[in-house]
Amino acid sequence: MYVGLSDADLAPRIADGDSEAEAEMCRRMGPRIRLYGLRHLRSSSAADDLVQQVLLKVIEALRAARLRESDKLAHFVLGTCRMVVVELRRASHRQEALLAKFGSDLIPEPPPMPTLDDRQLARCVQTLKERERSVVVMTFYDEHTAAETARSLGISEANVRVIRHRAVAQLRDCLGVTL
Amino acid sequence: MTTKNDGGTGCSNPVEAATLMDYWLALLPSTAEDAIEEHLMTCDACGDRLRHVISLSEGLRTLARSGSLMVVISDRFVKHAAETGLRVREYAPARGESIPCTVAADDDMLVARLAVDLTTASHVDLSWCDPRGVEHQRMADIPIDVESGSVICQQSITWGKASPSMTLTARLLAVNEAGEEHLLGEYTFNHTRTIPGPPGWEVS
Repeated sequence: MYVGLSDADLAPRIADGDSEAEAEMCRRMGPRIRLYGLRHLRSSSAADDLVQQVLLKVIEALRAARLRESDKLAHFVLGTCRMVVVELRRASHRQEALLAKFGSDLIPEPPPMPTLDDRQLARCVQTLKERERSVVVMTFYDEHTAAETARSLGISEANVRVIRHRAVAQLRDCLGVTL
Repeated sequence: MTTKNDGGTGCSNPVEAATLMDYWLALLPSTAEDAIEEHLMTCDACGDRLRHVISLSEGLRTLARSGSLMVVISDRFVKHAAETGLRVREYAPARGESIPCTVAADDDMLVARLAVDLTTASHVDLSWCDPRGVEHQRMADIPIDVESGSVICQQSITWGKASPSMTLTARLLAVNEAGEEHLLGEYTFNHTRTIPGPPGWEVS
């Protein structure tokens, strides 16, 4: 029933008390919020917390019809993500009261992460040129910046970027991953 | 925001894969990052592609931390690895030196620090030879930091732990445009197996 509806179509329905529209909004936004959380919090459990807290705040706002322009739903969710990440970094407490009020049954299961063949990946990395392998290892070991890697290897920052992009593209090809 | 034509992604304006990786690695300027996040909040196709990027990134992080790759690294990297809790076994022979070495079961990284003057070299190969001088592996055109006065090579810890007692010689070679080689330094490692149990192979 809700498949053909846009994100914006869901907001007024939620304001009207439509619980199915609410569930659909959570189903769509949950995985997107989780990706944001993974990127900024670097932890699956913290990303799950973020999904809960953001969805609860968004539902609360939508039920109260506080979102005036429904086509700004995604932007509103993103803004809420940013605000909650700041809060999470400031204090790690959970919003138990909100969870008690709304329950957690609307929190969707995240889509599974794609799996990689680790042995194949190792074989692919061994086929890289020496500079590419050095840049890949030093970049991904601890997510070193291009500047740090460049300083360490005595090459320019721009060169590190070019080498990294080329190496990652080659690895994707080697693994048969098409993006 | 850097985008490309839809390559069957289900998105009319998909974010380039390289840009998604830069986003995941937090290497984008904030304006570009904001634009990516606005897009990802409305586009599940690019969200799926980002999951593949994350998966590859996590796989590479695990591999990089495993110590199982043979790779040229930097002094900062070795120090950082030790600071993050890895047990690093390091040997630092002088030019022409022959040294005893081993690897323990609880070592995480095995590193050879080869002292060398790189001021006249631009293209350097690292060749690994057996005692007869037969080359077993060549690492061509390795990254060098002329000012560092050394080349640091991580040997695979997996290989080291499986290795029988044996001797290996590392040779640093400057290679000119004509393909001519000039020996910069030679370093011999006399490895004694100390880990109990049979080695992964026998020396021929």
